[in-house]
Amino acid sequence: MADVVNVGVNLDAFSHAISGIQALRSSVTRVFESLKDGMKNRETLEGREKEFLAEFQDNLQAVNRDLNELERLSGLVGRPSESHPLHNSGLLSLDPVQDKTPLYSQLLQAYKWSNKLQYHAGLASSLLNQQSLKRSANQIGASAKRRPKVQPSTLVLPPQYVDDIISRIGRMFPDMSIELFRPNGTSAVLLVTLGKVLKAIVVMRSLFIDRTVVRGYNENVYSEDGKLDIWTKSQYQVFQKVTDHATTALLHYQLPQMPDVVVRSFMTWLRSYSKLFQASCQRCGHFLQDGLPPTWRDFRTLEAFHDTCRM
Amino acid sequence: MGVTCVCQVPVAEGKSVQQTVDMLHKKLEQLGSVKHGSFCVDCETYHATGNVGGQPSKLLYVMHNSETPLSCMALFEGGPCLVADANFDVLMSKLKSHFQNAKGHKVESRGSRYRYCDFLIKVGTVTMSSSARGISVEVEYCPCVVPGDCWNLMKEFMQSFLGTSVPELPSVFAAKPEGLFAAADCVDTMTQYLELFNKLRKLQIPGSNVR
Repeated sequence: MADVVNVGVNLDAFSHAISGIQALRSSVTRVFESLKDGMKNRETLEGREKEFLAEFQDNLQAVNRDLNELERLSGLVGRPSESHPLHNSGLLSLDPVQDKTPLYSQLLQAYKWSNKLQYHAGLASSLLNQQSLKRSANQIGASAKRRPKVQPSTLVLPPQYVDDIISRIGRMFPDMSIELFRPNGTSAVLLVTLGKVLKAIVVMRSLFIDRTVVRGYNENVYSEDGKLDIWTKSQYQVFQKVTDHATTALLHYQLPQMPDVVVRSFMTWLRSYSKLFQASCQRCGHFLQDGLPPTWRDFRTLEAFHDTCRM
Repeated sequence: MGVTCVCQVPVAEGKSVQQTVDMLHKKLEQLGSVKHGSFCVDCETYHATGNVGGQPSKLLYVMHNSETPLSCMALFEGGPCLVADANFDVLMSKLKSHFQNAKGHKVESRGSRYRYCDFLIKVGTVTMSSSARGISVEVEYCPCVVPGDCWNLMKEFMQSFLGTSVPELPSVFAAKPEGLFAAADCVDTMTQYLELFNKLRKLQIPGSNVR
């Protein structure tokens, strides 16, 4: 009951204060409009200046008046109370030591924040679900009856099969050498050396390419303990760019049912980098753009473009 | 260690060596390069003693490069090159009976080092017994090791700040048995510096009283 009365008093002063703000805004707008319009046409220069100044002064005084009125009204409105108790949690607001333990206000903020988060997450998930991002053939959510039949194949492959495929692909390209390591479990890690241009480390998950790091020919691929270093980025900007492009490529080439075709396409694409420093950009004809050679290779035609020139 | 190209930039008309160097620095900074410290390449000459007959004594050049501070390179002009660690200087002083130091023939190039994307550019003043003889510019493209691959790229870059004084492909690369497609290393850089120093040394001898 007391809340309703409180709210009623606030609302009245509120509406007066709002109209006070509107009056202030219009008087400030008038000031700027008169400045914009400039001096009106009168007979003498002094006449024009005097009238302009008088008008300007009037407008400023009107602003001052409205501002004072607004200050008076806002004094009447008072502090907004935080008394919107959410049932039992409102009992927390009865704690008298408000400064040291602002429990209730923090609770309200946390609640509002989590509501907003939930709403945004819902929007994001509906947008992301529009584009299917799964590269393997496993189906999540298939009924229990169908699942044993569809369970496959492409994510659980015998390591020997993976070795065979990789070595076959390695033999296809004479200027590219592919070495296979298995440092951690059954996931293969490939070290691809392309001529004297670059070395790429490709981390696989059965026959799917997971991630790749491209480094220069003269950079160190092994870490201090003798294992392949799959995390350090290249120290050269050109190879950092090529790493980004290679990551785009491994996301582009997707065929859930035939992962060996995917690996072959990826290797064919990577092989086009053998002329990384020799090729000029197909679009602008130059070799360098911001100090970088053409690092982008088109996915279909394998033509070289600068990152900023690609179509 | 990438592909390097060392060339000489002629002093601009009516300007001093220092002014030309400053002009080059300004052009590099306009391109977007960032200064990254300084560099020094020096070369000492040793005469091989104990030579009979009329053939002139072979000259041994001992060079240092601040890019590889722990190394020391010893080379004969057009001949084999030895890469040793810094103690080689001490060894040379012990070999006084076989190699005599030609004091006063020490040449060095000192200057600032700039970095632009993956390029390292070193603009230095070549001095011999504290008189400036010329300007050396070294451009290194770090990611590539094969000169034949990236020569066009480097030429395009050098044109952007050297303008007309762009050099040809250094002969040291073409002279290798595998040609342009052998990997480049620090010996090639030092050979290029040696050629440049010798050229500048010969250039000034007729007018050596002009300072």
